[in-house]
Amino acid sequence: MDRFRRFLVSDHAAGWAFILPSVILIVVFGLIPIVWGLILSFQKAGLISPEREWVGLGNYAKIASDPKARQAALNTITYTLLFVPTSILASLFIAHALNRKIAFVHFYRLAVFIPVVTSTIATGIMFLWLFDKNYGLANWLLGKIGLGPFGFFEDPNQAMIALVLMTVWGWLGFDTIIYLAALQGVPQELIEAASIDGSSRWSTFWRVTWPMLGPATLLLVVWSTISALQLFDEVFFVTHGGPLGRTSVVVFYVYRLAFEQGLGSLSLAGYAAAIAYVLFLVILMLTLAQFWLGRRVVHYSS
Amino acid sequence: MRRRMLAVLAVFGLLAAACTSGGDESSATGESPSGPVTLTMWHGYTDVEADWFNAAIDQWNSQNPDIQIDPLFVNNDKALQKLTVALQGDEAPDITYQYGSSLPSVATAPGLVDLTDWTQQPDVNWEDFVPGAREAATFDGKVLGIPALIDNLAIVYNKTLFDEAGVEYPNADWTWDDLRAAAKALTDPSKKQFGFSYPMDASEDSVWHYEPLLWQNGGSILNEDDTQAAFNSPEGVEALDVLAGMAVEDKSVFLDLQNSPYTGLFNSGKIGMLETGPWDLASFPDVDYGVEILPGFNGDHQTIAGPDMWTVFDNGDGRAQAAQEFLQWLTAPEQIQQEDLATGHLPIRLSVAQDPAFIDQFAKTIPGVDVFAANLANVEQARPVIEAYPTLISEAMGLAIVSALLGEKDPQAALDEAAAQTNDALALSG
Repeated sequence: MDRFRRFLVSDHAAGWAFILPSVILIVVFGLIPIVWGLILSFQKAGLISPEREWVGLGNYAKIASDPKARQAALNTITYTLLFVPTSILASLFIAHALNRKIAFVHFYRLAVFIPVVTSTIATGIMFLWLFDKNYGLANWLLGKIGLGPFGFFEDPNQAMIALVLMTVWGWLGFDTIIYLAALQGVPQELIEAASIDGSSRWSTFWRVTWPMLGPATLLLVVWSTISALQLFDEVFFVTHGGPLGRTSVVVFYVYRLAFEQGLGSLSLAGYAAAIAYVLFLVILMLTLAQFWLGRRVVHYSS
Repeated sequence: MRRRMLAVLAVFGLLAAACTSGGDESSATGESPSGPVTLTMWHGYTDVEADWFNAAIDQWNSQNPDIQIDPLFVNNDKALQKLTVALQGDEAPDITYQYGSSLPSVATAPGLVDLTDWTQQPDVNWEDFVPGAREAATFDGKVLGIPALIDNLAIVYNKTLFDEAGVEYPNADWTWDDLRAAAKALTDPSKKQFGFSYPMDASEDSVWHYEPLLWQNGGSILNEDDTQAAFNSPEGVEALDVLAGMAVEDKSVFLDLQNSPYTGLFNSGKIGMLETGPWDLASFPDVDYGVEILPGFNGDHQTIAGPDMWTVFDNGDGRAQAAQEFLQWLTAPEQIQQEDLATGHLPIRLSVAQDPAFIDQFAKTIPGVDVFAANLANVEQARPVIEAYPTLISEAMGLAIVSALLGEKDPQAALDEAAAQTNDALALSG
């Protein structure tokens, strides 16, 4: 009893009390589902029927021989390899352009950030119109300079590129804000010292500014890779995996299996959970590798 | 980016929630409600459909204080997913609207009410429902749904565009080659005008627009006992050749990847002909359109029906019994007449469809809808009522059709590949 009273008045108890609301949310919507998902991945189960059959690692073994899973994995890798460098380089360029004293700079910064707070659905509808093969603005403009028409989302060979362009546009503002903050944290005296030493602006950027941006770049690479591997909303709404499965990424395939195809006696939800778990492990290992690599090359100023 | 994290968490979470599902025992469905009950009913009606539906519910509620209906809008496309989630929480609605193709999946749900006894009551007059709708509501010899809606496909064409191009209007003796020639004549790349349109989202929508051609030409989707794919027969390939030829060689087809801009384009005079159902007619106020039954192969002009249904879940306390009473009222001839006149839905009962006075009035409210009503007589076959069909088989066929229309694969190769996947799927679920 004494011990309990001591706990109640300690800092510990107060701390837990303060974070309790979010702990409950994380446990209910995070931890419990994660454990249940793991159990499900060892079962042959649909989401409608209550029947569950324990199949051990059977679901995991099935992934290797599933051509649609392989296609989804390849699509996801392609998307990530295109999305991460494009969004980081583009946002670095824009952040640099906005990091100076020009008229209306706040307006430009706001304009860059607006796509981030725009709903994915609105972005999707807008790009479907812009990229429409027959009636879209993009093809009309490209036609003026003698290019196209392009099929964009309708062409199996262009849909992935169109998806990358759309998502880069949608998330650019986030990366830009991070870079902008990092750029403003670069000590001005370092830049001045470099220019007094006769360094050109180009080499000042790459020798002084870029290394100082290391922590921000590491954060963005890790963050963008994780979100690229988890791409879902845009695919679900804009392409629904098509045309011909060329934009079917892993999370979308998991959704298809669990919530569209394997609901009843086909019982594919367990298999979908297994794929989700493999994706989780891949993301975990990739993130650890990125941080490990980051520690060796990133320069932390303090 | 948080939204993406949440999406993934939601997937994990819902997958996980599946583990908790409760198989609660259903009580006897015969008992009557002991006191007043309020039934939850999911429907997907919007616009004029919602106006009619809400008025019907109000009428019932005012006349039946003991059985109150509480309607809740649920998008039909997501009704199966939403039901799945509701079942995990033991919160199944008493009545829910479902696509006919979802029935084999819904059939595995705990608490789904077997309506076979209900159909044998004389007041229900089960034989009066349109045959295609009755078949689609029956799974494994049990009636699991009450017909709510039936559609079919016919040709809707823009008379003005036909006149401008000097092409004769479609008639009931047309062949698919006639349609192909007309589509070519109506196509004008400089005006971005197309002769025909095809849904290219590789969903069941891409598939069921092709199936009447397959059937007319003497082909079938699966073999007799639903164990092998049969659509890659010479008849099936020939049927797909027509569509692929139009799309790839003639370039006379608007390939609608989103499966929705076509209505707006038809209404603004950019598309000459659509293979579509009565639900689209209300979207064409600006076009002087005509409706004609599908072209045929060898004089066979059969079409395909898309039936939807009400399914009932037993939540105890005689609620299932009350739900059946209400649905019996909702699907009685008087209510169906009101519904059809208000919404343009096709008559779900033969006694209504064959009433000349009604059909006369029906054709006046929505031009062309009488052709669709009469076209119900051209429904000869149904899609396989097995679980692998709406899921894996439909997906394989949809991808084959889309790749043929995009010119990625020739029809034979595309259908052969889909047939192999279909056979795998049938082996998996068999």
